[in-house]
Amino acid sequence: MPELTFTPVIGIEIHIRLKTDSKIFCSCSTNTDAPANTNICPVCLGLPGSLPRLNNQVVEQGILTGLALNCGISPKSLFFRKSYFYPDLPKGHQVTQCDFPITTEGYIEVHDDNGNLKKIRVNHLHLEEDVGSLHHSASDGRLEGADTSYVDYNRCGTPLAEIVSEPDVASAREAVEYVTTLRRRVIYSGASDVELEKGMMRFDANVSMKCSDGRWGRKVEVKNMNSFKALERAIEFEIKRQKKLMLNGEEVLQETRHWNDAKGVTSPSRVKEFYRKFIVEPDLPPLIITQEWVDRMKAKMPEMPDVKANRYVSEWGIPREVADVITDDKNLAAYFEACVAAGANPVRASHWIRTEVLRVLNENQLKISDFKMKPETLAALVSRVDDGKISTTQGKEVFDYMFANNSDIDETVSKLGITEGGVVGNALNDIIQSVIKANPDVLEEIKSGKDKKGKKLKFLQGLVMKETKGQAKPQEVAEAIAEAVK
Amino acid sequence: MELYEYNLHDLLEKLNSKEISSKEIFESCKKRIDSCEDKIHAFITRTEDFAKSQLEENENPAGIFAGVPTVIKDNLCTKGIKTTAASKILGEWKPPYDATAWKYLREAGAVLMGKANMDEFAMGNTCGNSAFGATHNPNDISRVPGGSSGGSAAAVSAGYVPFSLGSDTGGSIRQPASYCGVYGLKPTYGMVSRYGLISYGSSLDQIGPFARTVEDLQLVMSVIAKYDPMDSSCFREKTHDFTHSENVSIKGKKIALVKEFQDFTLDAPIAEAMNKIKKILEDEGAVITEVSLPVVSRYAVACYYALAMSEAHTNLERYDGVRYGYTVNDASSLKEMFERVRSYGFGSEVKSRIIAGTCLTEPSRCEEYYVAATKVRTLIAQEFSRAFGEADFILQPVTPSMPPKIGEVDDDEMKGYEADLYTLPVNLAGLPGLSFFTGYSENLPVGLQLIGPRWSDADLLNAGVIIERHTGSPKIPDLN
Repeated sequence: MPELTFTPVIGIEIHIRLKTDSKIFCSCSTNTDAPANTNICPVCLGLPGSLPRLNNQVVEQGILTGLALNCGISPKSLFFRKSYFYPDLPKGHQVTQCDFPITTEGYIEVHDDNGNLKKIRVNHLHLEEDVGSLHHSASDGRLEGADTSYVDYNRCGTPLAEIVSEPDVASAREAVEYVTTLRRRVIYSGASDVELEKGMMRFDANVSMKCSDGRWGRKVEVKNMNSFKALERAIEFEIKRQKKLMLNGEEVLQETRHWNDAKGVTSPSRVKEFYRKFIVEPDLPPLIITQEWVDRMKAKMPEMPDVKANRYVSEWGIPREVADVITDDKNLAAYFEACVAAGANPVRASHWIRTEVLRVLNENQLKISDFKMKPETLAALVSRVDDGKISTTQGKEVFDYMFANNSDIDETVSKLGITEGGVVGNALNDIIQSVIKANPDVLEEIKSGKDKKGKKLKFLQGLVMKETKGQAKPQEVAEAIAEAVK
Repeated sequence: MELYEYNLHDLLEKLNSKEISSKEIFESCKKRIDSCEDKIHAFITRTEDFAKSQLEENENPAGIFAGVPTVIKDNLCTKGIKTTAASKILGEWKPPYDATAWKYLREAGAVLMGKANMDEFAMGNTCGNSAFGATHNPNDISRVPGGSSGGSAAAVSAGYVPFSLGSDTGGSIRQPASYCGVYGLKPTYGMVSRYGLISYGSSLDQIGPFARTVEDLQLVMSVIAKYDPMDSSCFREKTHDFTHSENVSIKGKKIALVKEFQDFTLDAPIAEAMNKIKKILEDEGAVITEVSLPVVSRYAVACYYALAMSEAHTNLERYDGVRYGYTVNDASSLKEMFERVRSYGFGSEVKSRIIAGTCLTEPSRCEEYYVAATKVRTLIAQEFSRAFGEADFILQPVTPSMPPKIGEVDDDEMKGYEADLYTLPVNLAGLPGLSFFTGYSENLPVGLQLIGPRWSDADLLNAGVIIERHTGSPKIPDLN
């Protein structure tokens, strides 16, 4: 009997907090770090008589997100009421677009296990409001067993985009690539900062297994993943768990499971799924988006990171790995492109950024937006090193000095006593003569033919290089010394 | 003549000429309320202290209603003043904001005498379904005032105040106006901001005024029918002119009767009123015609209840005891807390509509009921649209029968169906409907209804002005 193989079939639902000044249906600030229950009003608190009104900025951020995911934009979409009771949901229903969303299908490209590009289809993106946050006095922070629970409604009504993929993901690795690429594209679009540590991106995964003997496992929804790592581990765990069940001839139950990050396991959800119904939100008219509006948003869309990286590779010959690193951060890519625009050789500039710029940023815990050195300055440095006016070693010294002192390049070069173009000709000969003069015994050894391996010559060369502060070309120095000792 | 007996426009005239002071009006109305309220019970909360403070602070002296007392239905939020929607579930809740319609009145200088009784969450048509007791019809206190805005209608009818606000989801302004013998307008959906109106059926609810003359309705509409960015369903582009003029005409206008309604039985006074008004309209040069509304007559009532209850049960989901209103402190679980709060807090009519709404939108039935109803609603709107291509207005009863005695239950289901059929379709199509006084039958007032196309509210009121010239205005019953 041939060995059974299993193919995971995975769909991913992502919630992303959109970047807006105010909430989706009222003018309260979206600052959720404010003291509890200070950014609230009758609308986001769902007080009797209050009515929602759709924030235009949320729509625009939704369109941008959709465009970043290669989605079409629906000319007409609707809002619905999704009913369930929970203390963090003040109206007893969440207002969400679910069935009639702002976008149509889209896709994100990822690499399969053979390194080929494949499309993960995005079914749609829809807009909805977030709920409040609960704080329980129980030691494990869960509702059950808590004496007292507190609700903070600051988050309630902050705008979310829910992005639902088709079950095209085949592994935990692909899942991570999908969400990483997606996140990067959304950040580029300007629709969200997607700060993971602030919970701005949350994941649910639908995992099922197809067995080579034709059996299909039931779909399991895994919830509560808040980081790429958690998503990856949860999917890996679930794949293993379901495979084991199927190998044992047991049934995979269709259920919702909760990811416990500390224990690294999924377990059946303790919170009973509330019965949900949907009716059209009668307090909001249909959302109509004209082609003209979409075009205006399209004009705002920057080049997407993967497209950019491909361009760096194909047009500028930048290594793939470096291109990926630079395009990972929209601002870093902008910095890099500014360097190139200022005349730096793209490949050289990319290496300087990859090694030196990222090094000092990491060492100093800075973001590229905090980096004071102008791209024109770095471009000048790269060009001078490129032209041999400054040696690579000196270039790094200049870079560090400029970074530390926020100085300009000419000022730095003179401060460090660097002779542009290096020590050559008579200046070099003078140094060689003085070095030879100071080491008559070495000269003697060479002249007597004892320096068969050329060690003494190298020694002199080193002394000369030191005297020139590295500003001479080693090849020239070697030739000049050889001439001088003849 | 006592000051409380004056209509709004007469009061304003006397106030403007400084013949009388707002303080005197206040005292007269307060005296009237003091002497009658035991019999009528129009209020859930009396707010004379608040009205007094408004007068003392001279809140908005330049407003066109400066110093005029009013009453609003208790499902309109009033900042710092208890608002109950006639339900126990809201407890002692005091809203932190004013409903827009009330805010506009307040900015115009109106002073608030009380929050009017109503059927709980506006569900009912007798005003007997209130957690705080029934309201009585000032024309005959053994009879119901109608509902759900019964308190607002009774307050105007009894002479407490010259005008009031109510809300109409399926007839809740027009029917009590008719029963109490006052004028009531259910404006076009979107004409008056709903912000601060405690929702029943959001796509059907509309705030409107009660008054003892059509001109007074025009005055109130000129203040409350203003755009409000807080309500996404509120009109934006159009402006509406409610200026009163005696120089209006309905000459050549086509006024239609609904063909399918002609076989229904009407109480004799109402049938007589229909004939009387037809004659008046013809005398004024209007042409009486007929329109056919087959979908409306057949499906409107079922369609209405499916939609109203579906929306209502989601609107009432927010009452869970977590943030405001009635709550319990000793529940052993969240579920128990929700169950106890809602079981005690809601009255039985509200509960049955929540259950109906839940069933109608339940996933396995949603298509068959809720979704089907939304489609029927579109057909109904189209049918009215067609009808208003053939006629300018539709004339019909508000209800087929005269106000019943309090506690008297009408078991005739078919009669109930027909009763609803005159009012509900107007809300489904978002149309304006004017409930107007036609005269008295013995001591009871008889009202009828004129319906127009969307945004024809001003024209409808002008037609009302013409009818009123013939019928005269209602008189305040002597309650002492």
